Amino acid sequence: MVFRTLFATALLLTGGAILPADEPPERKVEFERDIRPLFQKHCYECHGPEMQEAGLRLDLKASAFTGGDSGESIVAGKSGESRLYLYVSGADPDIIMPPEAKLADESVALIKTWIDAGAVWPDDPESALASLSKHWSFQPIARPAVPDEWRGRVQNPIDAFVFARLAEENLTPSPETDRATLIRRLSLDLLGLLPSPEEVERFENDPSPQAYEALVERLLASPHFGERWGRHWLDLARYADSDGYEKDTARPHAWRWRNWVIDSINADQPFDQFTIEQLAGDLLPEATLDQKIATGLHRNTLTNREGGVDREEDRVKATVDRVNTTGSIWTGLTVGCAQCHSHKYDPLTQREYYQLYAFFNSADEADLPAPSEEDRARYEVARQAHTETLQRLEAEWQSYRNGEFETRFRDWLTRVGTSDVRWNPLVAERITSADGVTFTRQEDGSYLVGGENPDAAVYEFVAPISSAGLTALRLDVLPDESLPAQGPGRVEHGNFVLSRFRCFLTEPGADERELTFQRADASHHQAAGTPQAFHPSLSLEGSDPKRGWAIAGEFGKPHSAAFELAEPVTIRESARLRIVLEQNYGSQHTIGRFRLATTSAPAPVSLQPVPEAVASLLERDHATWTDAQRTQAADYYATLDGGAASRRQAVETHRKQAPKLTDQLAQTLIERSSPRKTQVMLRGNFLDLGAEVAAQVPAVLHTTPIDSQPEQNLTRLDLARWLVDPAHPLTRRVTVNRFWQHLFGEGIVRTPDDFGTRGEPPTHPELLDWLAVEFSARGWSRKEMIRLIVTSKTYRQSSRMRPELRDVDPLNRLLARQNRFRVEAEVIRDLFLNASGLLSTRIGGPSVRPPLPSGVRELGYANSVQWPESKGDDRYRRGCYVFFQRTVPYPMLMTFDSPDSNVACVRRERSNTPLQSLTLLNDPVFFECSRALGESLANSAGRDDRERLQQLSRVCFGRSMSSREEEILTGLLYDYRRLADEERAWIGLARVVMNLDEFVTRE
Amino acid sequence: MIFPFDERIRRARRSFLASSASGLGSLALLSLLQQEGLLAAEDAPGTNPLAPKSAHFAPRAKKCIFIFLEGAPSQIDLFDPKPKLNELHGQPLPKEMTDQVRFAFIQKETAVLMGSQRKFARYGECGMELSDLLPYTATMADDIALVRSMHTEAFNHHPGQLMMNTGVPVFGRPSIGAWLNYGLGSESRNLPGYVVLTAGRGTSGGASNWTSGFLPSTYAGVLFRNQGEPVLNLTNPEAITAEMQERGIRALSDLNRERYHLVGDHEISSRVAAYELAFRMQSAAPELIDLSGETQATLDSYGVERPDPKNSNFRGGGAGVPRAFATNCLLARRLIERDVRFVNIYHASWDHHSNLDAELEYNTFVADQPVAALLKDLKERGLLDETLVVFAGEFGRTPLGENRNGRDSNTGRDHHPYAFSLWLAGGGIKGGQVYGRTDEIGWNIVENPVHINDFHATLLHLFGLHHENLTHRFQGRDFRLTDVGGKVVEALIS
Repeated sequence: MVFRTLFATALLLTGGAILPADEPPERKVEFERDIRPLFQKHCYECHGPEMQEAGLRLDLKASAFTGGDSGESIVAGKSGESRLYLYVSGADPDIIMPPEAKLADESVALIKTWIDAGAVWPDDPESALASLSKHWSFQPIARPAVPDEWRGRVQNPIDAFVFARLAEENLTPSPETDRATLIRRLSLDLLGLLPSPEEVERFENDPSPQAYEALVERLLASPHFGERWGRHWLDLARYADSDGYEKDTARPHAWRWRNWVIDSINADQPFDQFTIEQLAGDLLPEATLDQKIATGLHRNTLTNREGGVDREEDRVKATVDRVNTTGSIWTGLTVGCAQCHSHKYDPLTQREYYQLYAFFNSADEADLPAPSEEDRARYEVARQAHTETLQRLEAEWQSYRNGEFETRFRDWLTRVGTSDVRWNPLVAERITSADGVTFTRQEDGSYLVGGENPDAAVYEFVAPISSAGLTALRLDVLPDESLPAQGPGRVEHGNFVLSRFRCFLTEPGADERELTFQRADASHHQAAGTPQAFHPSLSLEGSDPKRGWAIAGEFGKPHSAAFELAEPVTIRESARLRIVLEQNYGSQHTIGRFRLATTSAPAPVSLQPVPEAVASLLERDHATWTDAQRTQAADYYATLDGGAASRRQAVETHRKQAPKLTDQLAQTLIERSSPRKTQVMLRGNFLDLGAEVAAQVPAVLHTTPIDSQPEQNLTRLDLARWLVDPAHPLTRRVTVNRFWQHLFGEGIVRTPDDFGTRGEPPTHPELLDWLAVEFSARGWSRKEMIRLIVTSKTYRQSSRMRPELRDVDPLNRLLARQNRFRVEAEVIRDLFLNASGLLSTRIGGPSVRPPLPSGVRELGYANSVQWPESKGDDRYRRGCYVFFQRTVPYPMLMTFDSPDSNVACVRRERSNTPLQSLTLLNDPVFFECSRALGESLANSAGRDDRERLQQLSRVCFGRSMSSREEEILTGLLYDYRRLADEERAWIGLARVVMNLDEFVTRE
Repeated sequence: MIFPFDERIRRARRSFLASSASGLGSLALLSLLQQEGLLAAEDAPGTNPLAPKSAHFAPRAKKCIFIFLEGAPSQIDLFDPKPKLNELHGQPLPKEMTDQVRFAFIQKETAVLMGSQRKFARYGECGMELSDLLPYTATMADDIALVRSMHTEAFNHHPGQLMMNTGVPVFGRPSIGAWLNYGLGSESRNLPGYVVLTAGRGTSGGASNWTSGFLPSTYAGVLFRNQGEPVLNLTNPEAITAEMQERGIRALSDLNRERYHLVGDHEISSRVAAYELAFRMQSAAPELIDLSGETQATLDSYGVERPDPKNSNFRGGGAGVPRAFATNCLLARRLIERDVRFVNIYHASWDHHSNLDAELEYNTFVADQPVAALLKDLKERGLLDETLVVFAGEFGRTPLGENRNGRDSNTGRDHHPYAFSLWLAGGGIKGGQVYGRTDEIGWNIVENPVHINDFHATLLHLFGLHHENLTHRFQGRDFRLTDVGGKVVEALIS
């Protein structure tokens, strides 16, 4: 023993190198005898079935060799590369395992020997993974036999399963419920709406043996079916109309995906396709717009636009949510735990979690234009109208051009003669202004103003003029880097006000005289088209220092103003112009860089520099022009001619107003062209990255592993197809269970959020599997499955409590009766609107904002939440269309347990609180419904009290009132008449009836 | 405890019973008899989710007032004096200290330390050091346990608030008040077990701060307003008079009971009980916010009638905010007197990225006097022993000045989750102590760190609850307020 220890120590110290080659090893290390006990004693507490610290699990061969989050732990034959050895031996200074008590040297040596000898680990006889894999929900689904004794006795196999189970407990099913309850139940379950009293009556009196089946068909075909069952899907999808978090910005396009859901469900799109399109519609070959819109499912993740948020962290959070939500919806498993550590109870390791994560890691968010059919139709009409108008305007312009324009053009040509039509910059002999203001000439002939920056200034600019004539002056103001906001003004924001523009002419031997102007125009002026317009003609008037040419709205850009003389002036030699730019607005509204130029071109003059080609053309004898040259000159003149400009402007303006197909976008996912690398995030921290992983599905569900080409990554499309592969053990079970839950109030598995080992087992396992098999056999049709379930006797049972069941089966797991439960928040709203006659039955479209109680909107952060109340019918839309603002959800919805839309909700709570009572009694929306119903009763002429009470009962409950109920309400009516007028008495009465438990309950 | 309002209802009921032939089985009688223990509840047990439940062990606290300073107050200027930081004012931090940390807005390259303008002094017999901005709180120092070594995992406001209120920085988990009502039930007959009061602009987390998360909405905080209608939809529509309401509720109850006898569903009994509490709240809530019975001395001590300071154009400001906050503190005492389990008082915002000195002065003007008055008032009325009071924000603020956008003058501080302060008092807390210590500049904790999960574990412990045993199964997992952490800080408990 002593020898062995010494020997082993030596081995350890020297890495075994001194061991003589011919000396046989002391004895062979055997895993089960030597190594596993070590692991068991020292490692399994943290790396065993209960816990997998750092993702490492050492009790299973497969996991041990896969390694942990940071990589392989055992490299057979190479202890020096095996983390296991490095950590237990102390060779790694940073990590020593086990952390509390170092292993004995002897044990360390054993591990080394074992690894170096090839780390032989016999296959686990029955690994823990294998035993976990035996969990019922991970087993392949086989079609169970319908219980024999019931074959032939019931029409619907569902009943055979349920009744056989009841018989085992010596229980009998409940009788079929009365027809009034049946039609109300079915209407609520399938449409979320009340049957009208007439519909109830017709059904009650329908003698056909197929009356119920016909009713089912009618309801399944109703477009409201998609709203009702779509809303169930929105619960899973954590649908909302805003981003969440502090800013909680509205998502005006979110509803487009909701429309897709409603349409798909109404069209009974097979669930497998429904799945594939939502997870990977964008990856389908030649994906249609609808298929891309479907990917909006995973755009319902929250987005944090708060200042200082790390974008990558937010993206990681959204991706994690996509993984977790996909897990909840299709597998009924909580995969989220494995984000931070390997799953304690279900066979999902952290590495496998990130393999799932990898499917979503390369998805990017993209908002696509998403026109609807109506949009397209509307666009077609608008486009045609636009084209017609455009053609008319073009024709008008052409007719002008060939007619009146030609005359005006000829006249202009005679006036131009062969004069110089260019703008010729003036070069100053002298510029002066207030003290300390400087002017520096620039290469382009402009002057940059600098030095002192007084509140007001007058620039005096004296320059010789050489041209033969003078018809107009032009002032260019120019931006410059040196100016505030790039100019062209000198005030902080770049503006200026030219309060007066004056020009004086001095000719040799004559007194200086002031020139008069008839017109001014500018390429841009401030507040154009308003009474406050700062037009350059104000600079000619010069009557108010606060008015004149200014350019707010277009800072940092060049602008020009032209001033046309009242009459052309003939210039003699040595003439000089003195131009005075008065800028007396104050607070430094002065020009920072400018250029002055003159022209002798006849009116009208252009604000733009004249193209050189045109200028030289005009200087030549017009008679020598070719046709092309004449056209060129005419084109130029068209820029000056008022009639031409307005007509051409009309054409251009209209051209720009071409109708758009749509502003409507859809939130979608698209795949990046270069995929992101996926690494395990240690303890879920996005900054602490471990081993790289590739997309793959969890081992325990490898009933149908996804094969991938080695060079090809698996995509969301592969994941989606794998989920709806008929061999997948979970998708169909989880989905039919939800159908069942919506039709019975509870699922066959009562923990629809947990099909894993900690969840409840199914109450009727064979029935669940039979339904799952039927689901795919019936083409994954949602409507087929609903039809199958609601036509069963089990569904049609009475929901009344039977005394003998109270003790045996208080939770009604065995289904000896139907369940009775309060309807969901949205449906409560629908029922009130429905019964009062206010309901708008329009389907689809943007979310609506019905009246919000005062003081609620203000709960959003710093007024971030806007709630422009919807108008008209939109106030009375169904609950599923109410705008869902994540930080300030519509109070009534939350009071009645609507999901908060942050994570997938597979099962709603059904609480029962005083706030609910107050809401139904007093919320303005609900009271408006009571009022409408009460008023219609008060005003229904020719009916006595009794008839009115019965009518109220038929509207709200689809049944007649008992004599006791009639008595209570008659008493109430009597008292109300004493306390209020007739109309208010009926309003109060309707309010009481609509607050009854039965009204908001599906029985 | 009998409230005047109960007496009113009793009278109304008696007179009704005397005049009505159909008295038996009416809501009023049933409720009256049940309350007085004269009639065993006909409803099946367990149908009322708010029925009082026993704690795991003998509790020290029965109620809690949680004052939340939204936006994160600067501990460096209020609770944790740092003379060394003042010396180092204007110096950059060594790179190795900032390398591994994140900031929301600070530009690391040019960031420098910013000392505090505040004067700290020792208060109380315990000699607790507090800022000159907290003169009123200072008078209660011997009742307060000041924790200077809090740390959190969340870095931005909304996640931070969720962390402080629900124990994890993600949406969808129940808040402290919801957990307590879930674990212990409500002892208030006429009011909800969890009430929320706010002043100032909204909180960035909104209603998610007082949500019931995956617990039934029964446990969610109910937002009371301190003026007008105290609870949403509390007031009957104009067309319905008080008399009509009482008569209507009676008919409602009678009809629901008819249905119950026919279908045998206990849920109907719960519905009757819910309408009954709603009806009682209709008188109890207005009575709650009616302060006419309070003495002038009480109103003055809270500062309920204080005028606004000259300038209130701040993040935490707005017309009447100091009065609203003071009123909320007084309402909190009144709620505690009426056996409400958990009261949340929110004030927003303390997010002083700039203009810290002026705004902190304003915010402490808003909060200091009323909060101290609340402590004193509770103590004088013998309520502090069983009422835990907490004063906290979602995280702390940096010792570095904030130089966002290369701003050259620093007038604010950025988010700092690594070390911050909060205080507790009453409800079994050992007052007059400072717990935990930060380093010389307040960057890191050097002694007795307290994670938010630890804080929550301690809080639940005061209520007689093992934090690991207060769980709710959701999506296949047993969830707790303390998530996967939490260690009771024994030193804080008396």
